[in-house]
Amino acid sequence: MRRRNLFIQLGISIALLALLGLLINNLAVNLIRTGLGLGFGWLARPAGFALAESALPFTPSDSYLWALTIGWLNSLKVIVAGLVLATVLGVAAGAARSSGNRLLSSLAGGYVALIRQVPLLLQLLFWYFVAFLGLPAAPMGGLIKLSNQGIQLLGLNLSVEFCAVLVGLTVFTGASIAEIVRGGINAVPRGQWEAFRSLGLAEGLGLRRIVLPQALPAILPALTSQYLNLAKNSTLAIAVGYADLYAVSDTTITQTGRAIEGFLLLLLSFLLLNLLISGGMAAFNSAVLGRLNRSR
Amino acid sequence: MNRWLDRSITLLILALIGWAGWSLLHWLLVGADWSVVTTNLPLYAVGSFPADQRWRPLLWMAVLITLTLLTLVGPKRGWVRRWLPLAWIAMAPLGLWLLAGGLGLLPVGTRSWGGLTLTLLLTGGSGALALPLGILLALGRRSDLPVLRWSSAGYIELMRAVPLIAVLFFGQLLIPLFLPPGLEINRVLRAVVAFALFAAAYIAEDVRGGLQAIPPTQREAAAVLGLSPVQTLQLVVLPQALRIALPSLTNQAVGLLQNTSLMAILGLVELLGISRSLLANPAFIGRYLEVYLWLAAVYWLACTAMALLARHLEFQLDPVRSSR
Amino acid sequence: MTVAILASDLVKSYTPGLRALDGVSLQVTSGEVLVVMGPSGSGKSTLIRTFNGLETLDSGELDVLGVRLDAAHEERQVRAIRRRVGMVFQQFNLFPHLSILENITLAPIKVQKRSKPDAAARAIALLDQMGIGEQAHKFPAQLSGGQQQRVAIARALALDPEVMLFDEPTSALDPERVKEVLDAMRQLAKRGMTMVVVTHELGFAREVADRVMFMDQGQVVETSDPQTFFTSAREERSRRFLSQMM
Repeated sequence: MRRRNLFIQLGISIALLALLGLLINNLAVNLIRTGLGLGFGWLARPAGFALAESALPFTPSDSYLWALTIGWLNSLKVIVAGLVLATVLGVAAGAARSSGNRLLSSLAGGYVALIRQVPLLLQLLFWYFVAFLGLPAAPMGGLIKLSNQGIQLLGLNLSVEFCAVLVGLTVFTGASIAEIVRGGINAVPRGQWEAFRSLGLAEGLGLRRIVLPQALPAILPALTSQYLNLAKNSTLAIAVGYADLYAVSDTTITQTGRAIEGFLLLLLSFLLLNLLISGGMAAFNSAVLGRLNRSR
Repeated sequence: MNRWLDRSITLLILALIGWAGWSLLHWLLVGADWSVVTTNLPLYAVGSFPADQRWRPLLWMAVLITLTLLTLVGPKRGWVRRWLPLAWIAMAPLGLWLLAGGLGLLPVGTRSWGGLTLTLLLTGGSGALALPLGILLALGRRSDLPVLRWSSAGYIELMRAVPLIAVLFFGQLLIPLFLPPGLEINRVLRAVVAFALFAAAYIAEDVRGGLQAIPPTQREAAAVLGLSPVQTLQLVVLPQALRIALPSLTNQAVGLLQNTSLMAILGLVELLGISRSLLANPAFIGRYLEVYLWLAAVYWLACTAMALLARHLEFQLDPVRSSR
Repeated sequence: MTVAILASDLVKSYTPGLRALDGVSLQVTSGEVLVVMGPSGSGKSTLIRTFNGLETLDSGELDVLGVRLDAAHEERQVRAIRRRVGMVFQQFNLFPHLSILENITLAPIKVQKRSKPDAAARAIALLDQMGIGEQAHKFPAQLSGGQQQRVAIARALALDPEVMLFDEPTSALDPERVKEVLDAMRQLAKRGMTMVVVTHELGFAREVADRVMFMDQGQVVETSDPQTFFTSAREERSRRFLSQMM
């Protein structure tokens, strides 16, 4: 029995290796044919393209590596802002759905039902071409200055592209988070609500201090996967011309023809992003669970 | 105090909804110019398919809609019920034949495929490939053989770590690099393969969840009756696991349909892609809102129909409810 | 008298140092009803599960219907045994996605390659025997526990087994449902089926058993005819157990 398993495993390993070898062989043949070869020396060469948006100084004479780094930072910027805003929106909508106010809860329900049945890419295009490019050319508003050239928020200058991606990701992810929060809240026994009401606590305070903390352990794992989704979805920024990691990689690959290397770098960058998010969430998770356990 | 606050919030929201609804209605009826939609309906439906051959994709979609309605209404006649699953399975090859031609039909290149037809074909084709692959991966990840377990888990985790657009890009650009020199596969097929490879990883996790929910005593009961491991899997474990996984599989299917829109970025003229090319036409410049609302409505309808079908299936598969 | 099950010195441990079976030897002749009793954790379930290969042995020799099932047994041998040995579990373990009829005909059709009508006719006959013929087209979730357990017995009988194993078949039932299952088992015993029954039902043991075997801590404490066991058990441990049960 055990020996048979060993043989099967050996067979599978050989088949997998053979498949891998065949693919790599084909790759080598194709690379020789096109005269490209593999290597990362091109990373140091000047990129030759400009980036509309960069957190750190960037000129076309800077290297591809620097361009990709700027793209990575741009991705990080929109992802982090999106995580925060989507969480706020999602928790609010989720709480509204399980609130006693029927209008509020059906409004939140309508939001979730509508947003989740329409492709994110379409929503991004809507926010960019209709909502933000539809703004007047001359700035309007006081503290927040809105125009189709950009958004000025308390001295902070945000590009229209950034805003469109941010709002699109927030609204889309918020709907999924709302569902998770609602599920988590519903899982808290009704007796807990009755308990804080009988103590004379206000609804909002009871929700924040009594119900949500108990719902958290059930919510957090699902929330992590939504955060990872948001990070992955941020790559759709290319559709509205926001210079995120994927957009810069795309341009780089098109210019250099270094598809394999470019793809590997993209893969590594995303693994790094995922590690950051899931690591952060794991730390948060254990902190929350630790506090809950201590308070018991 | 609390009730007063509640009421004023309600009133405020009602006023906001009323104002938004009124302005939307006004715009829909007076402000909007729907010619970008109405004059291009054939393009949205079938793309730039040759005009004299348009009946082929249209026929396919008509059969698809009929089948959807037939399934939802739930036919009483036994023979219709028995043939429905087979008819659904036949839809992908039928669509492929009607679109590509051959076997008595005029061949039409994939460049002319487009619109809703292409969206549905991409969804159906990749879904049909991804489901069996996903089931195999889920079984692999739960296998007793470490090599199988590790390679399945590695594949699943890698795929779930990367964004879909990168996988699709990989499919368009890199699949040719990994194939033997003379062998070329066309863009639509490359897209279907890439979608399937991506979706399979997510499906695998949903199926794994279903498998984990089956108590080990079910396997024991099957083993005691002399069923072989393969028979146990096929007759006892998988039917139950898939039924448990059905709601999350539905979400994956709806997600797949929505995600086919990403092919617009990579140059296929499916529903979103054809709209982008229409918006680039000087005759329809600036008609973004009309087009996007129209597209949102079409996607919403298609997604909702899929969700309804899945819920219907869920009901049918629940032995206790459906036997009443 | 032919020997159905012959076991000598069976040893099995799940965790090192703790033996679930600690040198169990026994013999079951065909046509005999052996009732196994003992406190929970005494190894009686483990023992009965080795008889059809659900548990593997660490050492010892086991012969079931002429097939050897020792520590190094082959998958194929086990499957051959399972077709000839039926088993009924504490938790019924019916297949929830199949109708009652399909539950019973699954193995005859797929394992014994019988025709569908043939298997169905046999299934209906067995259900009638169990007094639940009218339930054939329902699903397990629609039946009471007692009915489900009778279906489970019919499912095992559909393969025409030579030996039937019962692993606490009434422990998960409501008290008022116990009798209907025991009645079905009694009938089976009357028709000469070889049975090994793990149970706490003293009445059933006294009335139906040919022999009672008492186990504790993985060992056989004593094996006697029911008359002796219930009135004058040889061992102190048996007597203590019986006094707790009654």
